[in-house]
Amino acid sequence: MTKDQAREDIAFIRRAIEDGAAYATARSPDLLVWGIAVAIGYFGTYAFIRGWSPLAPGALWAACIGLPWLFSLRRLAKRLVGSAVATRGPVAQAMAMLWFGCGIFFMTMGIAVNATGQARYGWWNAVVAGVMGIGFFASASLTRLAWLRWVAIAWWAGELALFALRHRLEALPLAAALMLLLLAGPGYVLMSRYARRAEA
Amino acid sequence: MTDFDYAAIDEILASRVRLAIIAFLAGAKTADFAAVRDATKTTDGNASIHLRRLEDAGYIAMQKRFVARKPQTLYSLTERGRRALLDYVAHLETLLPPADGEAGRDGNR
Repeated sequence: MTKDQAREDIAFIRRAIEDGAAYATARSPDLLVWGIAVAIGYFGTYAFIRGWSPLAPGALWAACIGLPWLFSLRRLAKRLVGSAVATRGPVAQAMAMLWFGCGIFFMTMGIAVNATGQARYGWWNAVVAGVMGIGFFASASLTRLAWLRWVAIAWWAGELALFALRHRLEALPLAAALMLLLLAGPGYVLMSRYARRAEA
Repeated sequence: MTDFDYAAIDEILASRVRLAIIAFLAGAKTADFAAVRDATKTTDGNASIHLRRLEDAGYIAMQKRFVARKPQTLYSLTERGRRALLDYVAHLETLLPPADGEAGRDGNR
C-alpha cells in the first residue's frame, strides 16, 4: 500500500461517515415538529384577530415556540442525564449548528419585533421566510439532497408574497401554509422516505 | 520505508464494501437495509452478504422491526466494530507523514 492509497482510503472513510451523518440528520423529526407548531401559532393568531379564538397570541406563541425548543434540545438533555447519544459527524454538526443559529435568530428577533410593536407592520414574516430559504439552501448542499433547493426557492417566493401582503391580515394564514408545506412537509417526506423503504 | 505492517490489516475491513458499511454506520448510528445498500452503491444480494459477514464478526448488530406492517431491518455499529474502524484508520495513518496524519484523524469523528 502506498501513501496515496492510504490518503485515498482515509478520504473514502471520511466521506462514508459523512454520508451516514447526513442520513441520520435527514431522518430527524425536528422539521415536522417545528413546522406544525409555528403553523399553529400563525393560524391561532389569525383566528384570535378574527374573533374565532379566545386564546391570546402571547400565550399561544410561548407554547408554539417553547415546546419545539424542548423537543429540539432533547439531545442536549439526554447528554446531561448520561443517555447514549451518537457522536455527530462534521456534516451533522454543521446542519445542527445552521438550524440552531436560525432558531436563535428567529427567537431573539421575534421577541424584539413583538416588544417594539414592529410585528404589526408585517415585514418580519417575510424575513423569517427569507432565512428559512437560506437554511434549506445550505441544507441541500450539506445533506446532498438536491430537491431541498427547490424548497429554498419556494421559501424565497413565499418571502416576496409575504412582503407584498405585509399590511394585510391574509399574510398570517399564508405564513402558516408556508410552514406546513415548506417546513413540516419536507420533514414528513424525509422521515417517511426511510420508513417506507422496506427491505427488498 | 515506513513501519506499515500488511499483516496487521483487518481482513474483514479489507473489503471496500464492508469498510464503507462500517464507516457509514459510524456516522448514521442506525440505518435500515436500503440506506446501507444505497450508501454503498451495491446490490441487495451483495449488501446482504457483506452485512452478514460483518454481523458474524460482531462488528455490527441487526434488529428487525415492523414499520407500517412492513418488515424493516436496522443495522448499527457495535463497540467492537467501532474499535476495528479506529484501528484500521490508525493503521493507515502509520503510512503517512505526521502532518497528514492529523487530517486523517478527522475522519474518525
